[in-house]
Amino acid sequence: MFCEKGVELIKELHLLGDGQLSAFNEDGIRQVLDEMKALYEQNQSDVNEAKSEGKSELIPTIKFRHTCLLRNQRCVAAYLYDRLLRIRALRWEYGSVLPASIRFHMCAEELEWFNQYKKSLAMYMRSLGGEEGLDITQDMKPPKSLYIEVRCLKDHGEFEIDDGTIILLKKNSQHFLPRWKCEQLIRQGVLEHVIS
Amino acid sequence: MEKQSYMPVPPGVGMEENFLSLDDILLSHEKLPCTTETAFPRLGFLEKSSDARDIPEGVKMEMPLWLVKGLYEHKRRTLSVQLPKVYRQGWRTVFGADPTVVDLHKMGPYYYGLGSQLLHFDSPENTEIAQTVLQTFIGRFRRTMDSSQNAYNEDTSLLVERLDGLERALFQAGQSGLNDFQRWEKGHSSHLTASSLVLNYRKRKITEVQE
Amino acid sequence: MADAFSEASDRSEDDSQDVMTPAELIAKLEQAWLNEKFSPELMESKSEIVECVMEQLTHMEGNLQRVRKGDIKASIHRMEIDRIRFVLSSYLRSRLRKIEKYFPHILEKEKSRAEGDPSFLSPEEFAFAKEYLANTESYLKTVALRHMPPNLQTVDMLKAVPKPCLDSFVFLRVHERQENILVEPETDEQREYAIDLEEGSQHLMRYSTIAPLVASGAVQLI
Repeated sequence: MFCEKGVELIKELHLLGDGQLSAFNEDGIRQVLDEMKALYEQNQSDVNEAKSEGKSELIPTIKFRHTCLLRNQRCVAAYLYDRLLRIRALRWEYGSVLPASIRFHMCAEELEWFNQYKKSLAMYMRSLGGEEGLDITQDMKPPKSLYIEVRCLKDHGEFEIDDGTIILLKKNSQHFLPRWKCEQLIRQGVLEHVIS
Repeated sequence: MEKQSYMPVPPGVGMEENFLSLDDILLSHEKLPCTTETAFPRLGFLEKSSDARDIPEGVKMEMPLWLVKGLYEHKRRTLSVQLPKVYRQGWRTVFGADPTVVDLHKMGPYYYGLGSQLLHFDSPENTEIAQTVLQTFIGRFRRTMDSSQNAYNEDTSLLVERLDGLERALFQAGQSGLNDFQRWEKGHSSHLTASSLVLNYRKRKITEVQE
Repeated sequence: MADAFSEASDRSEDDSQDVMTPAELIAKLEQAWLNEKFSPELMESKSEIVECVMEQLTHMEGNLQRVRKGDIKASIHRMEIDRIRFVLSSYLRSRLRKIEKYFPHILEKEKSRAEGDPSFLSPEEFAFAKEYLANTESYLKTVALRHMPPNLQTVDMLKAVPKPCLDSFVFLRVHERQENILVEPETDEQREYAIDLEEGSQHLMRYSTIAPLVASGAVQLI
């Protein structure tokens, strides 16, 4: 049957249910586009024949192929759109710089979309209130305490806290830091929140 | 609500499909038994049992739901749709007797979705199908809800094994509510953790290295 | 919540009577936050509240700089700032999330808004939504649609992206007594019926039934 390639793209994403990104399936997309081209050309020639020779019995076949064309368009659009939703999630989980291992899974146009999304979001956040704006990708959970105990899971280098103090985040070192400053590093897996 | 940053396009409600929903695209890939009521010239190669050039009128074929929906017309019939077994009289009686014993995953896994979609085609049995699908859901809902609210910290694979896709989603929603509540009760809800996306990418990287 | 807050900010208030007290402002923010969090559709934009709260936060930060280090009052004020900032961020996040989820419909609604009617989007949100639409449309076009047959090179985002489901059920608390609210039937056997909502009572209902009451502030989503 037609459109098997298209649904394979969808299955591939559906398996990664929690929002992970697999490598952009350029080959899969190309195969769907090739099938669409073939279906369209066959339909064009059948439409001409139906018109010029009055062969109305070709109409069900033309409609059949057109339904397949629409299906292919839907599969490709849904594949691309769902990937954008996953890429959007990365901005909120990782911050604005993505690890190379993830960028590697994205196509050039997806990176461009991500950069534009980043820009729009930054512009929006800057426009909130005073000169500095408000970073709404922080404060994901209601604060219970000002300072929290954190353990460093990997070497991260120097880190500046609110009052200008600079501390060195070394693997296995433990610190007592303002919660607000640590949130993103915890999400990224650099720091671990220690509960005593 | 703010926990998961990735929120996929949800499937449509009732008889609707959402164009961009992965779930709905997979649902519409389900096959329906059909009989052609017109010939489809030059498409004979799609029908495996013969090597004729055309698909003739009156041939029984399995077609995916999306194709049937595209070809189906109320006025001029190009094909007729037969009911898949689980929606026929015999199975409806079974579902009516005790909906909780049926393995809807094996029968589905889109039992409710496909049942709702069948209503697009004017079958004389539509009313009965709709009734059975609804009553089956109602009859099983209590058990799905209870088990999702009571299974804390245990392997749930046996509990979800026989559930339809829709029921699984409900089960997961119940579980995540239960887990959040337990965390809150223990005073852990303010515990900041690494994003599950980040953790999963790391896991994947490790397995890739090991392979 | 507002005690330390008012103490930190009373100096900034001018003497006019129609100005909201900080406590009222925070109550308004919390009301908008909960409604936004639980309603399926985007609520009317509350730009004034956001701006006032942002101003107060800046003001409180400023006051904090002047407090001696180690003063116990400083950490209480710091905590207060953190909590208000959380509510504000969470509120704006809920809105942005809905804008991203329903952007074609939200922009369409904005387009057909009669002059003088309140906007559902702040100017900044409007700019964001427009960029999000343009970015996504141009992405789909470049990667795939322009390589498709001529009659398939566009996808109507209004049809492709689902609308908010206004029939979702929501929990609510009644602030002002309401009479004769018509409730739609749940099954074919039921008929439409009317109920009264007593002040202070709580209900679980379809959002569409009470949407205007949420907008007017007569009921609060919880």
